[in-house]
Formats: sequence, C-alpha cells, structure tokens
Amino acid sequence: MEAESSTSNQQRKRKRSASESSEKPAQSTWRTDKEHRLYSSKLLEALRRVRSGSGSGSSSPRTDPPRSRAVREAADRALAISARGRTRWSRAILSSRSIKLKSNRIRVPCPARPKRTELERIQSAADQEKKKSVVLQSKAKVLGRLVPGCKKLSFPTLLEEASDYIKALEMQVKAMSALTEILSMIGGGTEGAPGMVQDAGAGTSTGTDSMPPPT
Amino acid sequence: MSSRRSRISEEEINELISKLQSLVPESRRRGSNRASATKLLKETCNYIKSLQREVDDLSDRLSDLMAGMDNNSAQADIIRSLLSS
Repeated sequence: MEAESSTSNQQRKRKRSASESSEKPAQSTWRTDKEHRLYSSKLLEALRRVRSGSGSGSSSPRTDPPRSRAVREAADRALAISARGRTRWSRAILSSRSIKLKSNRIRVPCPARPKRTELERIQSAADQEKKKSVVLQSKAKVLGRLVPGCKKLSFPTLLEEASDYIKALEMQVKAMSALTEILSMIGGGTEGAPGMVQDAGAGTSTGTDSMPPPT
Repeated sequence: MSSRRSRISEEEINELISKLQSLVPESRRRGSNRASATKLLKETCNYIKSLQREVDDLSDRLSDLMAGMDNNSAQADIIRSLLSS
C-alpha cells in the first residue's frame, strides 16, 4: 500500500510536469492496470464512507434510493479524483457534487470565451457544408450537456473531453462490475458463474437478482 | 499556414474525430472511413448515455448488496470486513 502511494506520488509529479509541457494526456490513460487498481481502492474507500455515513445497522430499508444515489456520486467523485485535475469534466464533478446542487447550476469557469465565434467561423468558411455544420452544432450541444462541465466549450476541446470521459467511464464500469460480481458471489452464495471477475468489461451480463430478504 | 481558421485547423478536428471513432464501439465496426462527423457525434452521445446508465445500474446493485450486509449471515460478515478496511 505504501509503496503504491509513493509511486503514485512520483507519478503525480511526473504527470503534472508532463501536463504542463504538453496539453494532451497520454493515450493509455484510464487503460492501465495500475489506474484500475488505484480506482478500485478509491471506490472501496468511497463505499466504506457511504456505508458508515448512512448509519450502520439501523433500520435502513433495502431499497434505499438515497443510498444508490450516494453510491453513484461516490463512484463518480472517486473517478473524478483519479483524473487528477487534468480534465474539465472531472473538475466539474468535484466542484458541483460537494455543494450537492445539480451540475447545471455550478459554472466551472471556462477560460475559453470567444469559442462561439470560432464555431461561427467554421460555419462561414465551409459554405458547402453549411447544412451539415448546423446539425453538427446541435449534436455537439447535446454532447456538451452529457459530459459534465462542458456545455460551452469549443468543438475540439469538447471532443477531447468527451474521449477522455468515455475512457474514464469504461474504467468505472469495469471496476464497479468487478466489485459487484465479487460481492454478489459472496453474498448470493451459490449463484454466480465462475470466472466472472475477468469478464467484467461486459457489464452486468448475469441477471442475478439481489439477495432474498432476511427472515 | 494561415489559410485555415486561426485556432482550430481542420486536421486537428479530423484527428480528434478519428480518436473518438476508435473509442466508440459502433463506429469501429463499420470501418474507419464511413462515419461522418454527425453520425459519430450521435454515436458518441448514445455511447456515453449507455455507459452512464450502466453506472447507475451498477450503483443500484452495489447499494442493494451493501444493504444486504445489515443482516447477520456469514456472507454479510465477509462483505462487511471487505468494506471496513
């Protein structure tokens, strides 16, 4: 554990200097085993906090909507922290969740202000593709609403944030599925097929139900 | 050099588009040159939405599993010990 945290400290320093010299994060981001392990342990930590936060052993109902929401937010926050401030979407998650408002309300200050004119410039410069670029613009707006904190970005920045966000989400799904499989195998007892953990990338493929209510 | 737009060049955009294309599953299958930008954006939005739905789903399952810890079975003990450092 300590060895890992010290190497992650070194990595953090290296990453910070790397990100200062070249803006683009490495292509292999979110795909390495190390990051997967780091995220999984952050996820476990976050889940521990959710569990202790929602009261241990009191009469908490099984289907507790706030808890599922809390799990989702904890997982997202852990994901955003793993991004180490490299991306706008991660900073937007961290700044909006802590105040518990909808992420639309919190304006993460985007330094890119005249980006709207750049979009217009794209439009006017390519007259043949005028129709195409209007559709493009509306699709880009939808994309901007999906990725947290990216509603007013320029097109290339939005694409960059989106591709990083996708990779991060994929890792999140992998880690959470693996954890879910493990816990459901332990909790469910005899259900759950073997070799499930490796296959976690496919998502929730086994339709295993939650545990039966305690008697 | 300055014949393109000032800050974003078309090559940059195409590069980003192809990078996105390699990430989104649908576009990968159809071959590298087929996707127009609009189609790719639509696929991207759908993919992100489905990923987020998966995460929501998994959060539900995880919270159910965690809720199951509140009973007293042996399995619950194991889960509890996993989750209590």
